[in-house]
Amino acid sequence: MAGPLAPERTPDTTVDEESALDRPWVTIVWNDPVNLMTYVTFVLQELFGYDEPTATTLMLQVHHEGKAIVSSGPRERMEHDTSRLHAYGLWASFQRDS
Amino acid sequence: MKPFRFRHGDVVGGLDPAEASVVGLLLDQLEMLLEADADDVAGDAVLERLLPPGHRGDAEAAAEYRELTESSLRSGKADDLAMVRASLPEGGGELRLDADQAAAWLRSTNDLRLALGTRLEITDETEPPDDFAGEEDQQLAVYYWLTALQGSLVDALAAGRAARR
Repeated sequence: MAGPLAPERTPDTTVDEESALDRPWVTIVWNDPVNLMTYVTFVLQELFGYDEPTATTLMLQVHHEGKAIVSSGPRERMEHDTSRLHAYGLWASFQRDS
Repeated sequence: MKPFRFRHGDVVGGLDPAEASVVGLLLDQLEMLLEADADDVAGDAVLERLLPPGHRGDAEAAAEYRELTESSLRSGKADDLAMVRASLPEGGGELRLDADQAAAWLRSTNDLRLALGTRLEITDETEPPDDFAGEEDQQLAVYYWLTALQGSLVDALAAGRAARR
């Protein structure tokens, strides 16, 4: 999945590590008792351009299951997405997809 | 409080004098916390919530993320606070906010709710106070007042977004 944004490196890795490298990174929003449901939906639309039904589905997943993946892609972009969510006070983190 | 409404491209609401002064005080407190010496507030639950770790479980990734992002997160909050303060009607009155001001109010009122909610250890089961006898009940009342204010702002902005479609 090489692209203009992919890091240039020649990994010296075993097969197991390579399959780990193939897994994308994700940005997760975690449930918290303060943020309003309408606010979370609004912010997901604002930052990711989701339509209202999609944003509402993700918000409800956060609310009922405790978390939801709101974006996925290269690590740098997930760090950026996490920081944009933090600017709005959403409880977010990035990690390698599991 | 006059709840926010979407009007001709702006959102318009209003605060009575006591409410405007409470918002001013809360902004001062938040500003002081954000400007505090990092060593003095290490482990502070509110700051931990306002400037959360970017990675859970990998301390190195979290530290790297903090190094990359924390200063811009802090300066963004400071800019929002300044914009909210500049648009806060001293002594109360009408609040007419353009898109940038409304976004600053949205994020700042959320930070105030996060700060108060964390201090008061709000949970999904917490309910508004029945009376305002104790200091904690008063703070809880302020928290729920901010919730109503921010809720009306979200609704007004969502209405504005729908109107643009």
